Amino acid sequence: MELMKGAWRVTHPVMSRRGALRLGGLAVPALALPAVLTGCGTAAGAPSGGELRVAQTEDPSTLDPHKQGDMITMNVLINIFDTLTARDTRGRLAPRLALSWQVRSPTAWRFKLRRGVRFHNGERCDAAAVKFSIERILDPATRSPIVELRYVKSVSVVDEHTVDIHTTQHDPILPDKLSLFGGVIVPPGYIAEVGDAAFARKPVGTGPFRFVSWLRDRELRMRRHPGHFHGTPNVRELVFRPLPNPASSLAALQSGEVDLVTGLTPDAARQLSGYAGVELENHPGTRAAYLNLDTESGPLRDRRVRQALNHAVDVPLLIDAVLDGKAREVPAMVPHGTFGFDASVKPYRRSVRTARRLLAEAGHPDGFTTTLTASNTDAQVAEAISGLLDRAGIRARVELLDPGTYASRLTSDNRRALGPLYLAASSVWTLDGSSMLQSNVRSDRRQSRWTSDRADDLIDAEELSVSPEKRAKAFSELQQLMLDEAPFVSLYQQDIILARTTRAHWTPIINGALAMESAEVSR
Amino acid sequence: MTRSTAAPLLRQVAARLGTAIGVLFAVATLAFLLVRLSGDPVKQLLPPDATAAQEHTLRAQLGLDQPLIAQYGDYLWGLVRFDLGDSLVYGRPVADVIGERLPATLELAFGAMVITLLIAIPAGIYAAMRRGRAGDTSVMTAVLLGQSTPPFWIGILLILVFSVQLGALPASGYGTFAHLVLPAITLAVYSVAVIARLLRSSLIDVLGSDHIRTARAKGLAPGAVVLAHGLRNAALPTITVIGLEFGGLLGGAILTEQVFSWPGIGRLTVQAISDRDFPMVQAAVLFFAAAFVLVNLLVDLSYSLLDPRVRAQR
Repeated sequence: MELMKGAWRVTHPVMSRRGALRLGGLAVPALALPAVLTGCGTAAGAPSGGELRVAQTEDPSTLDPHKQGDMITMNVLINIFDTLTARDTRGRLAPRLALSWQVRSPTAWRFKLRRGVRFHNGERCDAAAVKFSIERILDPATRSPIVELRYVKSVSVVDEHTVDIHTTQHDPILPDKLSLFGGVIVPPGYIAEVGDAAFARKPVGTGPFRFVSWLRDRELRMRRHPGHFHGTPNVRELVFRPLPNPASSLAALQSGEVDLVTGLTPDAARQLSGYAGVELENHPGTRAAYLNLDTESGPLRDRRVRQALNHAVDVPLLIDAVLDGKAREVPAMVPHGTFGFDASVKPYRRSVRTARRLLAEAGHPDGFTTTLTASNTDAQVAEAISGLLDRAGIRARVELLDPGTYASRLTSDNRRALGPLYLAASSVWTLDGSSMLQSNVRSDRRQSRWTSDRADDLIDAEELSVSPEKRAKAFSELQQLMLDEAPFVSLYQQDIILARTTRAHWTPIINGALAMESAEVSR
Repeated sequence: MTRSTAAPLLRQVAARLGTAIGVLFAVATLAFLLVRLSGDPVKQLLPPDATAAQEHTLRAQLGLDQPLIAQYGDYLWGLVRFDLGDSLVYGRPVADVIGERLPATLELAFGAMVITLLIAIPAGIYAAMRRGRAGDTSVMTAVLLGQSTPPFWIGILLILVFSVQLGALPASGYGTFAHLVLPAITLAVYSVAVIARLLRSSLIDVLGSDHIRTARAKGLAPGAVVLAHGLRNAALPTITVIGLEFGGLLGGAILTEQVFSWPGIGRLTVQAISDRDFPMVQAAVLFFAAAFVLVNLLVDLSYSLLDPRVRAQR
């Protein structure tokens, strides 16, 4: 696995006070005002040392880790709870509540657990807790939206510190899947005593921070847990605040009301350029975007047309012009830093001339007209891709959908619900290429619009092989096949962008989770 | 109040309550049907790589696999028992979730209304008394400017000046009086314009009528004429609009709540719509309708108290 490096940081110089006097520019749109009114104000309500305040766009949906499946909620809960496995700062799978794991048989994984771990209420975290937790997710009564454990059948306790997880088929990336959502371990005794609802109101985990209070839509507060097996976190209190509007979250950062703003778009990050006391960072992330092509109807049935699209979409230009350079080209769907990435697979050479030639060979000398569908949250990228395609004669009308409608059509039984060409992305938080390819390649999968026996075989090989070498080989061959057959236009993987005050220090993990035990704040 | 005046008032209240229940039933039915046209909540709850079987299981657990008529029956039966159902996203009773947001919504609505009345009533009176003169033009230009400016723009401008530059007030959040100031001002700007303009035009109409001329002929001071005779007669249309504005404020000031991260019902509703959280959307729509109906009922009743002619007609 290639490890991600090269995080960069820019500290902006202190701007002059004069900028603040430019209030005459009332006609300037308010969202652009941060560039005009430079930071010279005093911080409102500056916190006492040791408190770190993190802004996300939303509040968690619930504090029951098994009843949520979104990253915003996981980001909060990963600090209160521990998972069986985890990612270290270099993106490697690392021990957490489980110290080691191994394949016992094609349908069983054995996990050896850390000894002496206790929940915040003193309850022991042992094999019984692991069994309870995983079976709680699988229990239909829990209504868990966590879907990664789809092959898990049952859990058996071998001894107090050993469990076997049994699956219906071999799941080579089960340990990776247990590094977030499905791997969260909850206290069986406490839940039995207080019930699900009370547990969600006052969650008890084993994590580096204990839950203190939650004022919904205002702030969620936690305090460091001195008894954590990784030692006491540096930050005394950790506070998550929901700030839905990017402009307001940046204002809150400037006025010292929050220390860290995460999940920024390149556009929002650009607005912060030039502020005193604010540092902008982008770190490698794995969220990868691509165009899904309908290879079963219309002009896209012809491989040459699909290759033409790949030549036409100038991904490096797209990254520079629209994403402010805060992304990295993905050659063939499998992102850098995930298992299965093959550095020897090179992306398409971008050439409008080649694209036009291929189109002419395929019987479209004047190009053709099509539709490019995207969620309205990706409007800028979709419009830019449409512009790039237009240079080669492919007139792609952009159809933007609200995220809800987009999601419904994406997972619809009708594989053409999003039209011949759509922009999609996957977070690949498991850091395994199979998460990127599981829904859209094998011909029987829901989002697949490509029939290739070879691809199906290769997917089977990477999804079912016990041997990592065999899996890596299957991934390499699959990437080469996808380049040749071009059922997708592989685009880019986005950086994780965060803005912070100079008093806060933290390095994100490549899976994007806001695990703050390593964060520091200066007083 | 004597028996002779109380009886018609009670009849009026009873009739209005009957109408209100009918309106709420219609709103509940419409909300139930419309929200189901917006899409499938299961697709929102599960990630895109969920299998069809996983979707099917969750849909059954949420009762969304039942025929529409059965779901509607359950919903109405729940309403009769004041049970609005559980949120699909939060997994808790929607009444609890809305109840948590209610204080913030009420606080913002009242705060904005107080500011509105404190500014709009003097401004409207002043402009009416100075009709056609520089004072009138200045006040009306100012309020019109406020009415024409989008609240999110005003909000961000206020944040930049008072939070970022001066550090005097918090940029976002909820909990203290300081947190209320900027969002309440932002929200009041529009209502000030609506109410000041209406009060001005109503007063100008009234000030041209015979009884005002008579009052002036009696030698009353101009201020006394306006306050004692003009304002009371100009109050009816103004109170109606104040009621409507307040109903609107209770319905949630979505943009303002968004800009100031205010934990109100408006933001909750927008999120619920995008999550396809059916029970939450239904409950929120019902709440807005109930708030509007209640405010309108109070406004109607206030007519009887303010205007003897209305009482006489009933």
